Amino acid sequence: MAALELSDVRKVYGTGDNETVALDHADLTVGDTEVVTLLGPSGSGKTTLLSIAGGLLSPTSGSVRVGGHDIEGYSKRQLTAFRREQVGFVFQQVNLVPFLTARENLLIVAELAHDTKEATAHADRLIEELGLAHRRDALPGTMSGGERQRVAVGRALMNSPKLVLVDEPTSALDSKLGAQVMELIVSEVRGRGTAAVIVTHDRRITSYADRTVEITDGRLAADAVTA
Amino acid sequence: MRLALREIRRSKVRFALLTVAIGLLVFLAFFMQTLLVNLLGFFTGALEHQSATVLVYGEDARRSLEGSNVTMEQVDAVARVPGVASSGPLGERTLTVRADGEAVDAVLFGYRLGGPGAPTLMASGRRPRGADEGVGSSIDAEQGFGLGDAIEVLPGGDGTGRPLTIRITGTADESRFSVLPTVFVPWNTYVDAVRLANPAAPEVRPSAVAVIPAPGVSPGALAARINREVAGVEALTREQAVADAPGVSSVSQSFSLIIGLTYIVITIVIGFFFVILTVQKAASLTLLRAIGADTRTLVGALFVQVLIVVVLAMAIGAGILMLAALGSSPVFPIQADPALVARVGVTILVLALLAALVAARRIARIDPVDAVNRPTLGGLS
Amino acid sequence: MRLALREMVRRPGRFTVAVGMLTLLAVLLLLLGGLLDGLATGSTGAVRAQEGELLTFSATSRDSFVRSQISADTRAAVDAVPGVRSTSGLGVTLVGARVQGREEFENAAVWGYQGGVRGVPAPPPAGEAWVDRRLEAAGARVGGTLRLGPTAVPVRIRGFVDDTSYLLQAGVWVSPAEWRRVTATVRPDRILPPGSFQVLSVDLASGAAPDSVATAIDRATRDGATGATSTLTKQAAIDAIPGVKSQRGTFTFIINTTLLVAAVVVALFFALLTLERTALYGVLKAIGASSTQIVRGLFVQAVVVAAVALVIGEVLTLGLGAVIPREVPLLLEPGRAVTSAVSVLLAALVGSAISVRRIIRIDPATAIGGGA
Repeated sequence: MAALELSDVRKVYGTGDNETVALDHADLTVGDTEVVTLLGPSGSGKTTLLSIAGGLLSPTSGSVRVGGHDIEGYSKRQLTAFRREQVGFVFQQVNLVPFLTARENLLIVAELAHDTKEATAHADRLIEELGLAHRRDALPGTMSGGERQRVAVGRALMNSPKLVLVDEPTSALDSKLGAQVMELIVSEVRGRGTAAVIVTHDRRITSYADRTVEITDGRLAADAVTA
Repeated sequence: MRLALREIRRSKVRFALLTVAIGLLVFLAFFMQTLLVNLLGFFTGALEHQSATVLVYGEDARRSLEGSNVTMEQVDAVARVPGVASSGPLGERTLTVRADGEAVDAVLFGYRLGGPGAPTLMASGRRPRGADEGVGSSIDAEQGFGLGDAIEVLPGGDGTGRPLTIRITGTADESRFSVLPTVFVPWNTYVDAVRLANPAAPEVRPSAVAVIPAPGVSPGALAARINREVAGVEALTREQAVADAPGVSSVSQSFSLIIGLTYIVITIVIGFFFVILTVQKAASLTLLRAIGADTRTLVGALFVQVLIVVVLAMAIGAGILMLAALGSSPVFPIQADPALVARVGVTILVLALLAALVAARRIARIDPVDAVNRPTLGGLS
Repeated sequence: MRLALREMVRRPGRFTVAVGMLTLLAVLLLLLGGLLDGLATGSTGAVRAQEGELLTFSATSRDSFVRSQISADTRAAVDAVPGVRSTSGLGVTLVGARVQGREEFENAAVWGYQGGVRGVPAPPPAGEAWVDRRLEAAGARVGGTLRLGPTAVPVRIRGFVDDTSYLLQAGVWVSPAEWRRVTATVRPDRILPPGSFQVLSVDLASGAAPDSVATAIDRATRDGATGATSTLTKQAAIDAIPGVKSQRGTFTFIINTTLLVAAVVVALFFALLTLERTALYGVLKAIGASSTQIVRGLFVQAVVVAAVALVIGEVLTLGLGAVIPREVPLLLEPGRAVTSAVSVLLAALVGSAISVRRIIRIDPATAIGGGA
């Protein structure tokens, strides 16, 4: 079962003369353990695609299937539950709640789902694996950039998602830090056999992925097929 | 200036909420001040605006005219004290009268015609010249106490006496007592009225002795002398009598406490709001400093905003006050007095500017180099 | 919800300021309430203590205790009205009283009564009085002497009674004969004919309806030759006491305005806070928090801020109450503290609700694509 299947997805804003087509007839399939980078300049529609795949936006037309669930017709409430249970996000800027410790940041999703019992054990394991055991009770303000990255990635993996969506992971970083982030993301994702879509304009990181799809002006490049 | 305005325009809700909060508090301050001043005047106006500058109460009166009575012997004794130019009985009594067709409570002040105790702030007509004439409090003119009206003192006891009619020959300003309509009448009329209300009373005693000092004698000195020379009385200057009238001091203190608290809350709310705002804007303020805006400009913009908020709030407060004044009645006195509003307004403005100093200090402490240095929190960078 | 609590514990700074402001407003409210209660109980105690359901005044007195007069004949007529079990005479004279060993005059009200006053035992023998505890603060002691009026008519204090003040004057409860004696000496211009009282306290037969008996009494006396009456229920008589109604109205108005201010201040505070947290809320929504959960957290914070402010405010008010001068009639009652607390909590909830719309409108999609 594919982690993500977008079929003929269109996203249009505005009406009549003021219409903007953010995404135009997008087809994309991502295998259940694939890591795909979506490469394009800003304004290319990559963010829109990521949002639709993650259930943050509903498409104007087309079908969206994530981990076997058809979400294009979901209500707001259903989308909220979907995001809680099926996907993980790593955002570009704000990822961590500044007044929660590393551990609490990992547990936040479970708390929202009122499902803390197993989650606590899971979180502790993740913390060990990410090498954060000594920073478990630290607040983000006291952590290094690298430690914060790891907590962010850990948080995205907490609900054992079918799909991890990553937004511009290296946008403000130099090559060394950029490489660090990408290695972290890819090794964690691959290590769990989870799929990931990484949105970026940074060509340097495409080597980390199994496949790269280019997007320009709302259109995906023709060869968007599984390798 | 433009910076200040543009920011207000951009965040209307925040500023609107602040202005409304302060406006309500300002209204509270206005309201309580005017209530205080007017209420105190309604308690003691007649006493303050009559001609005797020294008043001699019974010793046990607790400085309450209502609770005071003196004997005619004491009245004579006071008259004999050196330094007294003229003196006479002063009677104060709350009675049921019929005014404008309705039975209402009213206060009668009885004084010796030609002697001390006459009303001093005549607004219309003339003082009484003979029996059964009186001067009414002008604020109650519409309620049957106006020039040309007649009031009837109703008989008390079993109610079988013949009512006494008093013709209002003039009105006086600021001359209520105990928050009731008040009529100044000649002493003999006063005695008749009290007898009518209480037929069983064997005698009608004056409530106090009204005294005017001789030229060159100060009221304070004369009061002290009377206290020394006449037994069983307490002589006060008119100012003391007004200030110490029952209810005045407790009302004053209570209201002052509340008004003080209100000022404190206003100051803190304004201070807090602008500090938070400044902290929220830290990034853009730092940026402005980095590209060359000087501290004076930024602090100036802050004070402009404070000024705008306070002025608008005062407009709101004054507006609500005027609405409340519409609901004002002789019992519930609210007047929008411009002088009082101005005084309270200036106080609040000063407090607000002081409160803004905290935010101003924060602005002054911004280091432009932070524009380049600031890390984001929790982002991947 | 735990998130909301944790934020308050980890970042108390911001909330401290809100608590500070609400505390001041809470103190203001409690003081206002205390003043109102002090004025109200101090003005009405003696009347509230009457055990009769009705009070009969003379018709021309406009329901004033001090001006009313009921003759013995009128009383007989009232006694005869069906539904009336018994009547009890009341007379009151306002005097200055000096406590043993002190020279200042205290405000006192000498009541001649015939029984039927809650908390006050039967009328004492001549020369003795039951005295309101208000005078204890002025130095009065059981067994001591009160000197009434300028001529210092002495009465011995037989014991203290509670909550029997009238117009902030402490009740001094004596037999009717004693009352007449004191009045004749201290306020001879207020003496009543023998057998007359100022007001009758009317005790109804069981099952009698107060309003209809009141009307019957007034009708009976109007038709007779004995002097018309105006009979009120006890509550109406209390409301007719000078100042009671207007004080209640004024203070309630000010209290409500202050509550409104509290609501607006809370609204302001949470509006600012929500604005700051917009990005964070976007992320929370993106990872699966519903608007409901976030709004609930908001309300939790509002309630906690209000609760803390109320506790500190109560403590401060009690402290203030201890140092306020005696002339300020402040009475801090637990009932008032409770209603104030509930009002402030409600005001806080209503105020914070202004941010609900903004929270609901935060689009989770804003978490993606370019930062806080």
